[in-house]
Amino acid sequence: MNNDVIINTTKLTKYYGKQLGIEEVDLVVQRGEVFGYLGPNGAGKTTTIRILLDFIRPSGGSAAIFGLDARQSSVAIHRRVGYLNGELELYNDMTGEDLLRYLGNLRGGLDWKYVQELAARFQCDLPRRIQGLSLGNKQKLGLLQAFMHKPELLILDEPTNGLDPLMQHEFYDLLTETKKEGRTVFLSSHILPEVEKVCDRVGIIRQGKLITVETIESLKSHSIRQLEIHFAAPVPKEKFVNIPGVRDIVVQDKSLTCTVIGSLDALVKASSRFEVVNIISHEPSLEDIFMTFYSEGKNNAE
Amino acid sequence: MLNNIFLKTLRDQRRSLLMWGAYLVILGVIMALFYPTISKMTAFNQYLAQLPEGMKEMFGPGIADYTSPAGYFSSELFSFMVPLLLLVFGIGFGANTIAGEEEKGTLGFLLTNPVPRWRVVADKFAVLVVSMSALGFLFWAGLAISVSAMSISISTLKLAEATLGACALALVFAAVAFLAGCIKGSKGISMGVAGGLAVLTYLLYTLGGMVTGLKNYRFLSPFYHYMEPDTLNKGLSPVHVLVLLGLMVILLAFSIPAFIRRDIAK
Repeated sequence: MNNDVIINTTKLTKYYGKQLGIEEVDLVVQRGEVFGYLGPNGAGKTTTIRILLDFIRPSGGSAAIFGLDARQSSVAIHRRVGYLNGELELYNDMTGEDLLRYLGNLRGGLDWKYVQELAARFQCDLPRRIQGLSLGNKQKLGLLQAFMHKPELLILDEPTNGLDPLMQHEFYDLLTETKKEGRTVFLSSHILPEVEKVCDRVGIIRQGKLITVETIESLKSHSIRQLEIHFAAPVPKEKFVNIPGVRDIVVQDKSLTCTVIGSLDALVKASSRFEVVNIISHEPSLEDIFMTFYSEGKNNAE
Repeated sequence: MLNNIFLKTLRDQRRSLLMWGAYLVILGVIMALFYPTISKMTAFNQYLAQLPEGMKEMFGPGIADYTSPAGYFSSELFSFMVPLLLLVFGIGFGANTIAGEEEKGTLGFLLTNPVPRWRVVADKFAVLVVSMSALGFLFWAGLAISVSAMSISISTLKLAEATLGACALALVFAAVAFLAGCIKGSKGISMGVAGGLAVLTYLLYTLGGMVTGLKNYRFLSPFYHYMEPDTLNKGLSPVHVLVLLGLMVILLAFSIPAFIRRDIAK
């Protein structure tokens, strides 16, 4: 077994009764990689993660972590994994500190200095009862318990849920450090910019099927973007029509709107001949990206 | 310091245990305080003697002499109130500890840790047994101190033995709720199944005494093994207690694979 394959699923399938969870998902995550698992709500992200952690059992296929079977060796796997639940529920009648110490005991001890370090970074109020904490503060505790034993693999289900931008930034920094230490991160998200920012590779899942696995660069290269350019004076449409990757051009007086696939370079260069007042870029929605892959997938199949 | 799931579960129970313990102590003390008044009301016995056989069966064999200490405590405490309270506690706990935690959404969180599932089941069940024993002990202690202080002539050992029987009975139905929770993960279903089974088997025992066709099946009811030995008068019947504890162990033995095998909802 290749020592550098951390997560490996083969034709992983889960049905809840007749309802499809995921179907034939093949994933390989390498050591030291930050892997983003992207999809809209209900696409099957959490189902995949719950199989990896042996909370639920696959209807078909198999899942291995560290080369160990997810079901047979779940305890050994859990020892080396930190997990953040998507719908985080903590023991409300404990304080943060009591909770972390208890979880640490279940893991056979903790480096409490590191826990305090993390708590300081995320401004966690550990002596407070969890009951009274805001969503964001609970989420920070969730992050702490996932990272506090320095696991080899982090499985994070929608980790930035409820975090303010400052804490999100802190979290991204922590991810970068984790990656530098050669540890592996598997994170699910439905926010594309987040995944673009922190991940090396992305798996896109939709309606239970893994549509594609790509590096961020290649994902960006065929991402679709809505662009709006405002000029100081009216511009002629002809100057823009033949630019590669630019579609749906509408020029109205001093403004131009269009759809760009991939690089913006050619369009920006064409625009620079005129005085540009403002450029507004609308990030592609997940659905736009799915549509690209979906239509591509269909074309390939035909 | 919370070192394991056992201690954590016990900690979660602390308020509930204190409350139930206090109720049971108060119940025992009050019933003891009433006894001197009751013991003078000999008319009760004449009334009871006139009851049809079937009705006497319903009250259990301990009822024969209501004004004697054993008769009084049998009918007022051990034939209904104490087992009922312990059953309510036990079924509530049995349903809450796995299924309740699952519905709250913290069970998955717990299972993230390097803890095998059988250990979660075993630890939580151990807390059930310990809690039930603690409640039984508190109740017995309150009652024993009261009867001694008031010089009521009843053996505190027999009171302990009858309490043990009631705990064993309650543990059977608590284990039913526990097993249902391990199979299905729903608190409501667990309580419904265990509560319903308790009512049905209670009826089987009491009606079985009156209906000839049912009489041979009364041994199927856990209540039979609790009530029939007439512990306060005749002392502990090890066979019957072992039947109850054996049932509990069997239910636990089914709980573990049921919980290991299934999907966790949350």
